[in-house]
Amino acid sequence: MKISAADVAYVAALANLDVGDGEKDALASQLSRIVQYVEQLEQLDTAAVEPTAQVVADGGRAERGDRVEPRDGSSEAAETVGLFRVPKVIGER
Amino acid sequence: MSPKPATIAELARDYREGRARASDVIARTMDAIERSEPGLNAFVSTRRDKAMDEARAADAAFDEGRPVGTLAGIPIAVKDNMHIRGEPTTCASRILENYVPPYHSTAVDRLRSAGAIVVGKTNMDEFAMGSSTENSAFSPTRNPRDPERVPGGSSGGSAAAVAAGLVPAALGSDTGGSIRQPASFCGVVGLKPTYGRVSRYGLVAFGSSLDQIGPLTGSVADTARILQAIAGFDPLDSTSADVPAPDWIRELDAPVQGTKVGVPKEYFADGMDAGVAERVRAGIDRLEGLGCRIEELSLPHTEFAVATYYLICTAEASSNLARYDGVRYGLRAGGDTLQSMYRRTRMAGFGPEVKRRILLGTYALSAGYYDAYYLKAQKVRTLILEDFRKAFERVDLLVTPTTPTPAFRIGENIDDPLAMYLNDIFTTTCNLAGLPGVSVPCGRIGRLPVGMQLIGKHFDEGAVLRAAHHFEQAGGFDG
Repeated sequence: MKISAADVAYVAALANLDVGDGEKDALASQLSRIVQYVEQLEQLDTAAVEPTAQVVADGGRAERGDRVEPRDGSSEAAETVGLFRVPKVIGER
Repeated sequence: MSPKPATIAELARDYREGRARASDVIARTMDAIERSEPGLNAFVSTRRDKAMDEARAADAAFDEGRPVGTLAGIPIAVKDNMHIRGEPTTCASRILENYVPPYHSTAVDRLRSAGAIVVGKTNMDEFAMGSSTENSAFSPTRNPRDPERVPGGSSGGSAAAVAAGLVPAALGSDTGGSIRQPASFCGVVGLKPTYGRVSRYGLVAFGSSLDQIGPLTGSVADTARILQAIAGFDPLDSTSADVPAPDWIRELDAPVQGTKVGVPKEYFADGMDAGVAERVRAGIDRLEGLGCRIEELSLPHTEFAVATYYLICTAEASSNLARYDGVRYGLRAGGDTLQSMYRRTRMAGFGPEVKRRILLGTYALSAGYYDAYYLKAQKVRTLILEDFRKAFERVDLLVTPTTPTPAFRIGENIDDPLAMYLNDIFTTTCNLAGLPGVSVPCGRIGRLPVGMQLIGKHFDEGAVLRAAHHFEQAGGFDG
């Protein structure tokens, strides 16, 4: 699959990146080469293969009990940066 | 070449016997870093005052005969993507240039609990994305063996700091080879432990199903010492494994006679540097001389590993890096709307390779392409895992080159992302399969070190380190 400058603009918008017009062609050609390379996976028949999301080896504990535990640093988060000042979002469209 | 720097074991013995003082060692270390930095650029930041305070506290403990940790007074460097509470973590990115984490990473916290003294944070490819440390927002690190060459990456600063003899050990992180490849390029030992062996809490996330923290050191025994300190279950990382950590240091000297070592033929394919192949072949002969039983075998999906890896790691990265939006992490560019603020901040804060990977990952996850790219890669990941499972029914270890070439020149691959990615051809498989792998020096081509990779079964770092230790002790392969 060849990636066009328009594809780059579309994906950049999804990724919240402000790619300038001057960069789109170069990125399109670099990404095209990479995508053409990864398309070698098409050679493999994977119809009957389950996907692997993560190799969580034996003994992983995804959950802990629902108890409050004292945690390092949570009170310092705000202190370090002087609270989080965010841009105004109400009243925009 | 300067005399071989002290190992952790030597320093610890000198402290114990009163022949060295931590405050002298740390002061000398900080001076040496200051002298070498302008050329080497291995460090993003150093912490002389804090390290000196910690060294004086260590001296006091030794003087008063109080119990000290296994790493008391040992100078250590830490890749700048792991947190020390209240001190900057930059990930070598403009977007985190002013970020100060409010918590410790578990791995660094455990090192410091064992008495280690962090002397500074090391340079890296931005967000650990790269194989040369040229993608740092704070200039490239040079290879101490040849300053015209890259140290490898992404943990290039950590490898260079150890290779230059500035510290006996450093922490790195490895998502697709980022510990083993720079270890190979700089002639040091580098271990990527089993996925889940070392907590990732407080490590800035890149590819969460692949990332793992590990040591870079001057010797295999020192790698075992660092692993011993940082390994183990951590409730703060949901992928941390609750499995016992054996005494790796004690087990190093157990015999290797009869260990079955597989040589996957796909790792000796065309296109590899002839000098690298020759030295790794000689290394395999040396393993045979030590009593290992060598057997050729096949891991048929190896050629698909780089493609699989670059789809999965970029997809995970695009998701992980979505959080850097200008709201919480320091850098914020102005914008008329919230959306434009996000976009301008991310445009100003991320370097070219990070943007490329975010775009590729977003593309692979986007509607209409998810099945063809991301899901396909997850399925091929299963096939790669299956190759290893079958191989490990027959053998205890696998041996391969760490990289297809020795260290390349600064600038050589920077305009060709795909050529840079192909450097990871022998290292990404361990991450995809979650296996432990070590790179150990196995000779040189001129001044340039060559690394040999040993790969083990899940949680069998013991066998990996033991074979690497015997190999190193057999001698003649000084990085």
